[in-house]
Amino acid sequence: MWETTIDGKALHFHLAGINNQNFIMRDEETGSWWQQVTGEAILGPLKGRRLTRVPQDEISFALWKREQPRGRILRPDPRVAKRYASANWEAGIAKLPVATRISDKRLDLRELIVGVIVDGRAKAYRMTDVQQQNPIIDTVGGVPIVIVADGQSVRAFSRMVDGRAVDLFAKPETTSLVDASTGSEWNFAGRAIRGTLTGRQLQRIEVLRDYWFDWRAYHPDTAIFSAGLIKRAH
Amino acid sequence: MSRRLLWLLLLIIAAIALAVVLIPALVIQPFRPQSPRGLEISFALKRIGPLFTIAALIASFALVVKLWRGARWSRIALLLLVIPAMLSAWFARQNHFEWMFNPLANAGYVSANAATFIADSDLVMAVARNGEAAAYPIRQLAYHHLVQDTVGGVPIVVTY
Repeated sequence: MWETTIDGKALHFHLAGINNQNFIMRDEETGSWWQQVTGEAILGPLKGRRLTRVPQDEISFALWKREQPRGRILRPDPRVAKRYASANWEAGIAKLPVATRISDKRLDLRELIVGVIVDGRAKAYRMTDVQQQNPIIDTVGGVPIVIVADGQSVRAFSRMVDGRAVDLFAKPETTSLVDASTGSEWNFAGRAIRGTLTGRQLQRIEVLRDYWFDWRAYHPDTAIFSAGLIKRAH
Repeated sequence: MSRRLLWLLLLIIAAIALAVVLIPALVIQPFRPQSPRGLEISFALKRIGPLFTIAALIASFALVVKLWRGARWSRIALLLLVIPAMLSAWFARQNHFEWMFNPLANAGYVSANAATFIADSDLVMAVARNGEAAAYPIRQLAYHHLVQDTVGGVPIVVTY
């Protein structure tokens, strides 16, 4: 998601092609080609310019409605509604071929991951790890972070509170976290809703749901979270 | 110029006009890798395509007119040789990616509570700016690929 204003002018985009399975868009105003995943103009008069990123928040409809009851939602375009993806479309996508020069086989090319970039460091977390280990407590680029999942909804936050890293653990039967130092309860939006820290907000870190091959293509130096040592005792 | 040379010229123009529109279409195919050089060439051809193919069409017509008199059965061949330039001039003005993925012309919105077309577990892309919140169902985004909107006064493009 991108802000479309460049040099005070709002650009209007069209689908213009595909570059190694990530689409290219063309702006009507200058005809430049932009890479969807990076927001960078790769060809044309605006080559090298970057759109301003709007932090991605890909969550379930239920969660969104709970958080934004007065929000508005895009309705289907009746002309093409039949051509929209079906409910289980991700299973179909998973079977599509991957055409890329990426040969990094640390994960399956079509493995669903969530990626974060903290302080310039990229790190990928397998979706299955995120859901099973919820929350994931980690440190990326020297920044202590927490990754939380509510079904398919995934968010990440910095764990720094008042200059100190806090430890967080899941509050059973809820999507909340509790911090080890004060026992305050933090909701899925990273806001403390109970306890001495009530009203405080953890700093959001953008997460991108992506396939491994795509993430790896645009973040060649990415690390991968290893869940091997910490398995939940069931 | 000899008639033979004019015929050759007509052939060459037809071939180049086709190449100008076909090369980008072949390079930029889904499920195929693209190289930076391939993209660069495709971009250049796409840029000159609309003008170039019209010029090729005009040149083809001029040649056909010139060769028409004196030609007999070969008039059919003359007409056939204009077709590539005509197709190219038309295709250079199309966005065939938008044939497959119709752009969202008039995006309509409903309030969160009135949305009956989406299941609780379906994913949406959410944005909140300056007190205004909007969501875009992933299943719709996966088809349109991009949606332009203004949220909280900020013009954005939602991409997927």
